[in-house]
Amino acid sequence: MSFEYHEPTSLAEAVEMGAAFSADGRFLAGGTDLIIQMRRGRISPRHVVSLHRVRGLDGIAVDGTVRLGALVTHRALEQHAAFQGPLRALVEGAEVIGGHQVRNVATVGGNIVNASPAADIVPVLLSLDAEVTCVGPDGARAIPLGAFLVGPGQTARRPGEVLESARFAALPPRSATAFLKAGRRKAMEISVVCVAARLTLEEAGERCIEARIVLGAVAPTTWRARSAERALEGRAPTVEAFREAGRLAAAECRPISDVRASAAYRAHLVERLLPRALTRCADRIRGMAS
Amino acid sequence: MKITLELTINGERHEVTTESQRSLLDVLRLDLGLTGTKENCLEAECGVCTVLLDGRAVNACILLAAQCQGRHVLTIEGLARDGERHPLQQAFIDHGAVQCGYCIPAMILSAKAYLDEHPAPTEAEVREALAGNLCRCTGYQKITEAVLEAARVMTGGR
Repeated sequence: MSFEYHEPTSLAEAVEMGAAFSADGRFLAGGTDLIIQMRRGRISPRHVVSLHRVRGLDGIAVDGTVRLGALVTHRALEQHAAFQGPLRALVEGAEVIGGHQVRNVATVGGNIVNASPAADIVPVLLSLDAEVTCVGPDGARAIPLGAFLVGPGQTARRPGEVLESARFAALPPRSATAFLKAGRRKAMEISVVCVAARLTLEEAGERCIEARIVLGAVAPTTWRARSAERALEGRAPTVEAFREAGRLAAAECRPISDVRASAAYRAHLVERLLPRALTRCADRIRGMAS
Repeated sequence: MKITLELTINGERHEVTTESQRSLLDVLRLDLGLTGTKENCLEAECGVCTVLLDGRAVNACILLAAQCQGRHVLTIEGLARDGERHPLQQAFIDHGAVQCGYCIPAMILSAKAYLDEHPAPTEAEVREALAGNLCRCTGYQKITEAVLEAARVMTGGR
């Protein structure tokens, strides 16, 4: 690898560099993927623009909305007090990535921009209806995360644009999230399948008002199982309803066979993991009520 | 492109002029001759290059040295104080936790970062804390025992 290294200290300066270098430049966040790709020779940018001295990119703000700066690390997600309750899926998605060494530097923005179909934070953010903000020469624009992810490794980010943050609305009452991941082993593993779920129950807790079900590693992009969501809405949060959601999602997802698992096994995992994730959501909501 | 960096390594300030693409690992091993930090997979999978950056475990192989400007790096060479072994080093010796030894500097530094924040871990927590460090001699049992022993010593031998 050989490149010129740049360290802008403001977003405006970073955007200026991004625009000037365009396809010859790459923004560097945690680098846990970028540096590896460069060393393998898959990409060889002439300019590397590190974002780590840009102020304000590593903040987490929680009020009516939750804002995660692009440089928030997985460690910061794991440890944030606001994510230990209904938003627990953010912790569950963060704590299964790599070892401590990777989680101490790998960022939320990197996980999003990388656009791996097997990303672990992305499904959680999608289940929260997150949108991302990109800042470019023409200013800032907000894009729903689902529209931002175009294909494997491809996003709607324009050349020179910096992914600045992801944000989502705080959860309504009687809501909870859960994230489950299946790999060939427990640690240091890319997901064979991962599942993010969010559930909101009505006041008495007897019916689902809203459900979000997002699956990783079963399609070219992180994939929302909409028919499974619809099947839950208005129904009682029973084990049978959750199993049916699992069957629907397994029937509709379109996984591939690769070195990690066969397509059939992936669909089987979806059928088994999804009811577990939904049960975990329901248990969490009941736990908060008591 | 040449860059000049100021790094505090094992408590000592260093000014290093090197190439902008150098990893922290290469600066430590090649520019400064600190070969206690090992090189292996170069993809943050095996963990043998672990050092502590401002107290936190990182894989030096995929970190650009340029990103460490002005920061504190602790390597295995800086762990002993005034010739006296760190309790982790002593416990690894006492428990026979070292076989070929290649993973050990990183194993000890990962354990240190974890114990600094979690002084009294369970065995399961120690194993989870070391998940990013591979030992191909598979000496994990003795390594885990050594870390638990060091934790007891470091908290005053409860």
